[in-house]
Parts: sequence; structure tokens; C-alpha cells
Amino acid sequence: MSDIAVAAVLAATILVASTVSIEIGLSVALIELFGGFVVGNAFSIDVPSWLSFVGSFAGIVLTFLAGAEVDVPQLRREWKASLSIGLVSFGAPFVLVGLLCYFGLGWNHRQAEIGGLALSTTSLAVVYAVLVETGLSRELVGKRIMSATFVTDIATVAGLTILFVKPTIWIVPFAAASIGAIVGLPLAAPSFFGRYGDRVIEPEIKLVFAVLFLLMWLGGRANSQAALPVFVLGLVMSGHYERHRKEQERMRVVAFAFLTPFFFLKGGMNVSAHALWANLGVLALLFVGKMLPKFGGVYPLARRFTAPHATFTTLLMSTGLTFGTITSLYGLNAGIIDRTKFSLLIAVVVLSAIVPTAIAQRFFQPRAALTPEGAVA
Amino acid sequence: MPFERIVVAIDGSEPSDRALAKALELAALTRAKLVALAVEGPLPAYAATVGEVEEVKREKDAFFGALADRVRREAQAAGVPIEVELRAGHAAELIVRYADERGADLIVLGHRGHFLRDHLLGSTADRVSEHASCPVMIVR
Repeated sequence: MSDIAVAAVLAATILVASTVSIEIGLSVALIELFGGFVVGNAFSIDVPSWLSFVGSFAGIVLTFLAGAEVDVPQLRREWKASLSIGLVSFGAPFVLVGLLCYFGLGWNHRQAEIGGLALSTTSLAVVYAVLVETGLSRELVGKRIMSATFVTDIATVAGLTILFVKPTIWIVPFAAASIGAIVGLPLAAPSFFGRYGDRVIEPEIKLVFAVLFLLMWLGGRANSQAALPVFVLGLVMSGHYERHRKEQERMRVVAFAFLTPFFFLKGGMNVSAHALWANLGVLALLFVGKMLPKFGGVYPLARRFTAPHATFTTLLMSTGLTFGTITSLYGLNAGIIDRTKFSLLIAVVVLSAIVPTAIAQRFFQPRAALTPEGAVA
Repeated sequence: MPFERIVVAIDGSEPSDRALAKALELAALTRAKLVALAVEGPLPAYAATVGEVEEVKREKDAFFGALADRVRREAQAAGVPIEVELRAGHAAELIVRYADERGADLIVLGHRGHFLRDHLLGSTADRVSEHASCPVMIVR
């Protein structure tokens, strides 16, 4: 199939995914992943190089947006609970899944690290949606859960960047550019955005994209990964976007309309139905491998910091989606894991987005659900 | 008095407008207290980005804020005092729970008649009438 034919099939899939998402109330990312899975397996389409390129950039944009969504003042206020729950939520499954992959499944140590990282994540977006719906996002328990999720995310991107670095001399310009961007962009943003922003040609988005491309390129040359500096860049820009909601909205429009669909489609297209079917036992083992340490590690801390909602907190901290997908795709693109391992990790990531959330909402939804979302009269 | 506290579920659709008109009529006749419950509906489930959730929430807040203003104006025009409350979540579950909380003796809601969804999952009206602990008036 020619590149343009693949593009046409994928564009149609993206369109269908958005409409289905609106009709049934499921996140568009999940449907795009599923759409990619169906297209990839039904039509045996290989991921073309242009899709790989756009998808990789979209992963970086998603990481930047995730950083920009961190509520830094809240993180500072709740640092004690955030650090303990967040770090354990990352560390316990990272170690246990890593050991399971290495000793139990015979993966090599780099593959085991990818497995551990991909299944150590907590989905900020899944957690956020549940907290808003239950009304808990305005309460202390909700704020603590959100802050802990930020910490888990930060630990994941740090792991992704630090664990796989094999530094060359390019690490110096990479580090310099990262520090320059992290310090310089928030300083330059008010004047640059003030002078050139708020136009349909969007120079402010182009500035951010140029910086992201630069970090990706330098990160690649340094045999490293741009995830950590990009996430931190998003984090330091979060205050700016908080004050300039329109800019954030426009950035999201560009990302969600064109970039992130290709990221999730690419993820789905690389999932092999045959590999999943042939390895259902391993799939179950990896899923348990993620859930058990989340429960063993987070639950005791949740009893201390988010009582009486410890089970609810633990279930939410067991969710995962975006960073699990980003990590797995990194492992696949870098040739660390093969398609079978990638398929298993993505399947577990998707299951972990759905199963703990559904159980938390069905059986452990706190009484805060009964408080009004907002009385308007 | 036949009814003392009526809860009418609103979502801005035509059937919900008809339900509101009927509830206003009933409240005027019986002098019952009328509460309009605006159900925002759930946010995207299992989202990958906070942005997706936030933008949907913002759109819903704007839409339902405007709806609440319109409902208040209509009630004022009909001479019926009304309280409007906005909640997010699954419609049927929320309506039933809210009616219980407020001690409602009647729930009024519209019926949208979505053929496929109704046959596969059952309509909101069906589920409310099945689970509510007070009488339910379904306006077509």
C-alpha cells in the first residue's frame, strides 16, 4: 500500500475514532489505539516511516503537555504525601515487574527495565477524570492523589531518560540545550508570546515545537531520550499556561487534531493479535505483576495519607495509559523489545487503564460523589 | 397536596425542554417546590491526557451554565420559583440518587427515544423509572 493510501486509511480511522469517542463517551486515545490495532492486524499494514516520525514527535508533545498539566503549587503543598505515595507507586511495580520479566520471563535486563517502566506508571488523565466526576478534585484527598500521580509521572520520565542513556560527547550540548530551554523559555515566553502570540499563524506553538525538535535531535545524538527535559520544560511552562488558557487550548487543538492520533494509531498498529493470543498467560502474569506491587506498596501509605479512601486511592494509582504507551513505543523504536513484548505491554497498559478504574468507580466511589459539582442557583 | 417536591431532569434537549414545561405546569398547579437537576453526563472515560478531560469539562460547564440561566428565566416567566443544580456523572444513577437525597415525591424527565441505544442499554428514563423510590413522569 502506498504512503498516501495508508494516510487515507489512517485519516478515516482517526475520524471514526473521534466520532465514536463522542458517541460512547470513551477517550479518543483508547479508541485510536484500538483502531490502530484493527487496521494493523486486519490489513497487515506496516507502520510507514512518516508515521513513525510523526508518532515519535507526538509522544514528545504528549510528554510536554503532561508536564504542563502539573499543578506545581499543589505539588509543593502536598509534597510529603505526594513523594511517598508517588515514589512507591513508581518504585514497587518497577522493581517487581522488572524482576518478573528478567527472572520469570527470560527478558534481558534492558527489556526488563522497559517492562518495569511501562508498568510502573499512573495515568494522570484517568485519575483526574475520576476525581472531577466524584467531586474529590476539590478535596484534600483528591489533591493528594493528583500530586502523587505527578510524582509517579516524573519518576517514569526520569527513568526513561536516565536508564537508557549511553552518553556520547553530544550529551554536553544536549544538557546545555535542555537547561537553556528550561530556564529560557519561561523567561522568554511573556515577551515573545506577547509580541507574536494570539495569531492564526501561531508563532508561539512553532517556538515550542522548534525547541522540542531541537531537544529530540540532541537527545538522539547523545544516545539519550528527550523525555525528562521535555517533561520538565512543560512543568516550568505550566504557570504560563495557567495564566494564558487560550494558548494552552490552541496547543491542545494542534496536538489532539493532528499529532496524538498518529501516536496512538502507531501504538495500536504495532500490537499483534496473534502475539497476544499466543501469550495470554504472560499477559495475565504481567497484569498481576503491575497490580500486586501497587497494592502492596501504595495501600499502606494511602491508609495514612488518604484515609478513609485507601482502596480507592490504590486503585487509581494502579491505572496507566499514556506514559506506559510512550515507554513501550520507545522500547520498540529503539529495538530494545520486539513486537510480541510490545503487544503484551500495551495490552497490560490498556487493561490497567480500564480495570482498576472500573472497580474503583463501581465499588469504592467515595461519598464525595454526593456533593454537588456546582450549584448554579 | 399531591406533590410537595418535584425534581425535573434537564440536559438541554427537546424532550428535556418538554419535561421542564410539564414540570413548571405541575409545580404551578400544586405549588410544589421545583428543583431542576442538570446532569452533565460523564467525562471521557480512560482519557490519555488531562487536556481532553479539561476541554470537555469546560465545554460542558459553559453549555450547562447557559442552560441553567435559560431554565431560571423560563421559570420566572411562569411564576414558579425554581432551584437549578448542576452535577456530573451518569444520568440515571444521579437522578435517582439526587431525588432520594432531596426527598422528592415526583421525578419528571423527557424521553429521547434513541432506538439503538435504548434497545441495547435501556434508556435513562427506563432506568430511572425502574430504580426510583418515588413516582416518575416520563414526558414524550
